[in-house]
Amino acid sequence: MVVLAVSIISKSGKVLASRQFVDMSRIRIEGLLAAFPKLVGTGKQHTYVETENVRYVYQPIEALYLLLITNKQSNILEDLDTLRLLSKLVPEYSPSLDEEGVCKAAFQLIFAFDEALSLGNKENITVAQVIQNCEMESQGEKLHKLVMQSKINDTNEVMRRKVTEIEKIKIERNKTENEKSGPKRTPNNFNDMNRDPVFHDIDLLPNKAKEHPSAPSDALKKAPVKGMVLSKEQKKTDQFIKSLEAEGEVILEDTQLSAIQSRSSSSIPPSDPITVTIEEKLNATVKRDGGVSNFYIQGTLALQVLNDVDGFLQLQIEKQDVPGLTFKTHPNINRELFNGQQIVGATDPNRPFPSGQNETHLVRWRIEGLGESFLPLTVNCWPSVHGNTTNVDIDYEASEMFDLQNVVISIPLPELREAPSVKHIDGEWKYDPRKSVLEWSVILIDQSNRSGSMEFSVPAADPSTFFPISVGFSALNTFSSLKVTAVRPLGEGSSKYSQRVRLVTDKYEVV
Amino acid sequence: MDKPCTLLVHFDKGSAAMANEIKADLEGSDVAAKVEAMKRAVMLLLNGETLPTLFITIVRYVLPSEDHTIQKLLLLYLEIIDKRDAAGRGLPEMILICQNLRNNLQHPNEYIRGVTLRFLCRLSEPEVLEPLVPSILDNLDHRHHFIRRHALSAISSIYRLPHGDQLIPDAPELVERALASEQDASARRNAFLMLCLCGQERAVAYLFSNAERVTEWPDLLQMAAVDLIRKVCRSPNRADKGRYIKIIISLLSSPSTAVVYECAGAIVSLSSAPTAVRAAANTYCQLLSSQSDNNVRLILLDRLNELRTSHRDVMVDVVMDVLRALASPNLDVKRKVLDLVLDLLTPRNVEEVVLYLKKEVVKTQSGELEKGGEYRQMLVQAIHSCAVEYPEVAGSVVHLLMDFLGDTNVAAAVDVVLFVREIIETNPKLRVSMIQRLSDTFYQIRASRVCSIALWILGEYSLSLAEVESAISTIKQCLGDLPFFTVSEEGDTTDSSKPAQPMVNSVTVSSRRPVVLADGTYATQSAATEAISTPSVTPGSFASTLNLRSLILSGDFFLAAVVACTLTKLVLRLEEVQPSKVEANKACTGALLVMTSILQLGLSSYLPQPIDNDSYDRIVLCVRLLCNTGDDVRKIWLKSCRQSFAKMLAEKQYRETEELKAKAQISHAQPDDLIDFYHLKSRRGMSQLELEDEVQDDLKAATGGFTKETDDANRLNRILQLTGFSDPVYAEAFVTVHHYDIVLDVTVINRTKETLQNLCLELATMGDLKLVDRPQNYTLAPESSKQIRANIKVSSTETGVIFGNIVYETSNVMERSVVVLNDIHIDIMDYISPATCADVTFRNMWAEFEWENKVAVNTVIQDEKEFLNHVIKSTNMKCLTPPSALDGECGFLAANLYAKSVFGEDALVNISIEKQVDGKLSGYIRIRSKTQGIALSLGDKITLKQKGGS
Repeated sequence: MVVLAVSIISKSGKVLASRQFVDMSRIRIEGLLAAFPKLVGTGKQHTYVETENVRYVYQPIEALYLLLITNKQSNILEDLDTLRLLSKLVPEYSPSLDEEGVCKAAFQLIFAFDEALSLGNKENITVAQVIQNCEMESQGEKLHKLVMQSKINDTNEVMRRKVTEIEKIKIERNKTENEKSGPKRTPNNFNDMNRDPVFHDIDLLPNKAKEHPSAPSDALKKAPVKGMVLSKEQKKTDQFIKSLEAEGEVILEDTQLSAIQSRSSSSIPPSDPITVTIEEKLNATVKRDGGVSNFYIQGTLALQVLNDVDGFLQLQIEKQDVPGLTFKTHPNINRELFNGQQIVGATDPNRPFPSGQNETHLVRWRIEGLGESFLPLTVNCWPSVHGNTTNVDIDYEASEMFDLQNVVISIPLPELREAPSVKHIDGEWKYDPRKSVLEWSVILIDQSNRSGSMEFSVPAADPSTFFPISVGFSALNTFSSLKVTAVRPLGEGSSKYSQRVRLVTDKYEVV
Repeated sequence: MDKPCTLLVHFDKGSAAMANEIKADLEGSDVAAKVEAMKRAVMLLLNGETLPTLFITIVRYVLPSEDHTIQKLLLLYLEIIDKRDAAGRGLPEMILICQNLRNNLQHPNEYIRGVTLRFLCRLSEPEVLEPLVPSILDNLDHRHHFIRRHALSAISSIYRLPHGDQLIPDAPELVERALASEQDASARRNAFLMLCLCGQERAVAYLFSNAERVTEWPDLLQMAAVDLIRKVCRSPNRADKGRYIKIIISLLSSPSTAVVYECAGAIVSLSSAPTAVRAAANTYCQLLSSQSDNNVRLILLDRLNELRTSHRDVMVDVVMDVLRALASPNLDVKRKVLDLVLDLLTPRNVEEVVLYLKKEVVKTQSGELEKGGEYRQMLVQAIHSCAVEYPEVAGSVVHLLMDFLGDTNVAAAVDVVLFVREIIETNPKLRVSMIQRLSDTFYQIRASRVCSIALWILGEYSLSLAEVESAISTIKQCLGDLPFFTVSEEGDTTDSSKPAQPMVNSVTVSSRRPVVLADGTYATQSAATEAISTPSVTPGSFASTLNLRSLILSGDFFLAAVVACTLTKLVLRLEEVQPSKVEANKACTGALLVMTSILQLGLSSYLPQPIDNDSYDRIVLCVRLLCNTGDDVRKIWLKSCRQSFAKMLAEKQYRETEELKAKAQISHAQPDDLIDFYHLKSRRGMSQLELEDEVQDDLKAATGGFTKETDDANRLNRILQLTGFSDPVYAEAFVTVHHYDIVLDVTVINRTKETLQNLCLELATMGDLKLVDRPQNYTLAPESSKQIRANIKVSSTETGVIFGNIVYETSNVMERSVVVLNDIHIDIMDYISPATCADVTFRNMWAEFEWENKVAVNTVIQDEKEFLNHVIKSTNMKCLTPPSALDGECGFLAANLYAKSVFGEDALVNISIEKQVDGKLSGYIRIRSKTQGIALSLGDKITLKQKGGS
């Protein structure tokens, strides 16, 4: 009671596609199909042919035959049903009903045949269902992908949070080192307290990732802890600031906090009614033997106002003259006010800035013509071939201007069976076999590690395979040093605001 | 059996892609390119390449792909690659795919899971399946029915593997549980099928526990249930057969016709009680009338025919139901119905059947049906055979049929007239009324052939004075006024010949064509004008209604001769029955006038071609006879004709009964045949299910699972030595010819003391042969041997030649050495087998086929019969010419031979030989076929063999 095979052959007897549902040897099926065109009579009003052993039920489709091969005991009623279904399927998949079209769609047709006949048993299925089954659109998979994506997001978020935690620990450590007279017990205590939530978060990660809404509460939870810590360590605040200044930190303590907060929870509405975001993107292509091309900075000043009432405002900014810096303002921004008084305000004072969750870009700027010396980070890569292996030495050098966070240097590798052997590294490495890229990441580059290096070896490869190296990082201060110093409400809005400043790489490659 | 082949895709050699190209695409990240590369890889594999390096690339770069199409193609790829090494062990690298399959089985996309499970159904490597079993079982409870369906099938096929019960020991319990809670029709079917195959008692229990609800089951499940019942009941001595039958009976009312059909089949296999058979037959008849599809109808008729052979007595009752299917417009269906019905005739139902057939004949007169003529012919033939078998019904139909003598369908009219001729001889009671009727309807007859037979009947069977007189007047009436033309008409050619010209031309054209006689000889005489011309238009408007006149004026002198003979016969008879001499002489002179008029017409230039010699002779003979009669002549003309006709009929009947007897003989077992006692049959190595399972057998036969047991002695005859004994490599081959393929079993022996590396058997073919697999390389140790098997596909009957080389390398000689093999000739005789076909079909094919090969006879055989037998034996054909026609020693012999190839091609042979005065045979053997191959190869064969001797 099974169909032995479904085939499409041309009228001349060429087998275009055939799917067998029971075990039969190739020579047998080819023989059966070769015999068929000779058995088909003309002028017959029925469409089956019986031989000694098998029955062919067929349907001519233009220049083709679609045929089912069954045994002679097979149920003809069922087989005809199946044939009808299949004959509707063929035009669905084949672009044209001739040899060429069927050849092109042969595999799709075979997949469709598989759906219409599961292992030779008839399925009660419609054309639409077959198409649906072949398309394989799955809600489950979409859901799964969403979950995976949010897991990745969450993990990234946790990572960022962890970065700031570690940063703070470092700062704290510096501070305690500076403060020799302080009691020894306190820093330990501080460290413990600070570390705990971090590890706690990591442990719980898989569970938490599933319940997305828990993330903001997490972030909120953290803030008071920090506050408590700070207040507890009130006495040491001065030293803290001092140490910050010693490290070249220009940003005020609360701006840093808000920046961290905003990054760690981009989806959460900021608590401040007015948020100013200053972001610079760095683009650079550095040649491997020195020299830089395409080095420019793009910056934006964006404003986000939560409530309509707060929309009437002006921003007092502070900008420094940097060579090659040009500003562009939004058409609705009063240029005179901007150029003359360094105030960002609307041309029409009666029109408020738009409010809501979206950021409004007010000012854009671009810095061009920067020299190589302005690069915050330079990377040198030295591949050298030794017999069967290629040793690659890479080092980086960071400029004094910036403290870089989340530095990731991705080095393309030749197709490898296993991860490269890393002999020495400052920081961490990870090998992504799918893209075959070695990622060297340093969480923070500051005073302590302005330069670093890494050495690894891979089987012999052309030196050019290790390029282009792409570099990514972020920093909390900018090239232009543009800052918003105050928000002046024109009406009765609030003047409370938060400011985020950051520099990120857009495209930074060593070629 | 060879490795199973699961799919075929047309592969254009022109677009062959190199393996590295595919590899590069597979390694890239472009999804579309990857898909294409996978397709190409699959095609190359199907084409016989092995691509061993590709596997690792695919494992590395294709397995992780997220794209659905790639995943499905990957499954196809895995399906067709060799998963076992030469020794039959699973390849170790297959384990690499396990993880991926497991991931797929837990994939969030239900379709990926489903197709993976489906793939597992086709997998038979326990080492790969084993780690996957838990994941498969998990899928049993998935909420999506698509997955559950396939999970059930996968479990079923895994459990059925050898040692599969160790992989999932509790599979039947699991499936039973799943079945109980399952809602989806397909999944239930799969579960139920699994139980049928692996745990029959569970399936039976489930069926019985649901016996009440079976009618509400979805049709898929009902089918499975019917299947189960068939299987279960095949084992003997089921006490609970009744319960099964009850279920089947309830299923007969299922809304699904497929189920109903299946049930009907099942009932018969369950029981041979008349009630059961009747139920099945009725069901088939119902389907026959409710299904409009011709395919279904034809197959239903086949089923009914099967029932007829085993249960004729029951089938007799449904004969009227079967007849109703004549309402179908399809001629094939009608023919089958009539055949079936004719086999079911009994004295009780024959009246009814003939009545029905008569009604059908009347219906055809309305002319609505297309091919009404053909159908009428079939009906006439059917009635004819009814009447032969039950002469009492002839009277009721023959008059009706005689209305059709004037039918425009010549074949039908010929059938009718032949029928009349036979009935009038066998049924003397009807003679008077039939002659009467024939005289009345004679003027309607339009076809020359029908006319001549009708004239013969009139001449032969008009016995009484009144009959003879009416016959003579009928003929005269139909001839019209004499003479056939006037002299003025002859002179005035422009007037009358113009309209006559076209018709006459068509006749000449058709009569000039060489015509094949029934015995296969060529004939150019008009004796063979087989009513080719349509008897409609007549030259000159004056003769339009007179059939004989118009036919004769159109140049049909054969008919004219028949008219002359008939008149002679009638006059001779008249002289016997007519008391008045004057009347007789009057009639005689009238007849003579007709004959001379015909002769005059024939010899004049009025018609474009004059009378042929044969007709002329016959007419002149008639004239002489009438002028000078004698007793001998009288006896010949009035008695012998009739006698020889009666003899012919008797002969025909005798042959038919002989054939029947022969048929009956075949079905019986020989006295010394082995008898299989079902209950004693060895069950070693066979499961209960496989035992005597005709369905399985059927399936096996269909998939080519049966290979005929060839006896070894025969096999040894076919050994071919391929190389010399002193060659470094000795090779010999068995050639086995199957239906569509030739298998070469080549034994290769290394005769040297060195190891031969990369030894390869390269084969090339000529003719319609194709190598299936690519040759592989072997390494042959010193003095060891190896069996290499090569499959060669054959697609038509033709003599083929296989050439070959053996190529190898040795360690000390750098270049490859070559040993050339003997050619292997494939004999056409392996493909053709004797067959029979009707005379008419033979002649149609003979006329139709394009290829003729004419072989002159050149033989040492002196006797015609002996030569014929020799040709028959050496060509493996069947002689269609009946032995009676070959009787006697006349120095001539003409016979038709026929055979069919396994590919369904026809081979026709005609032998025409003549014994020369010096005792030698001369003549020709003509071979005709649709394709060149057969004609040529068969001709070669005959040329080779006809010399005789061996």
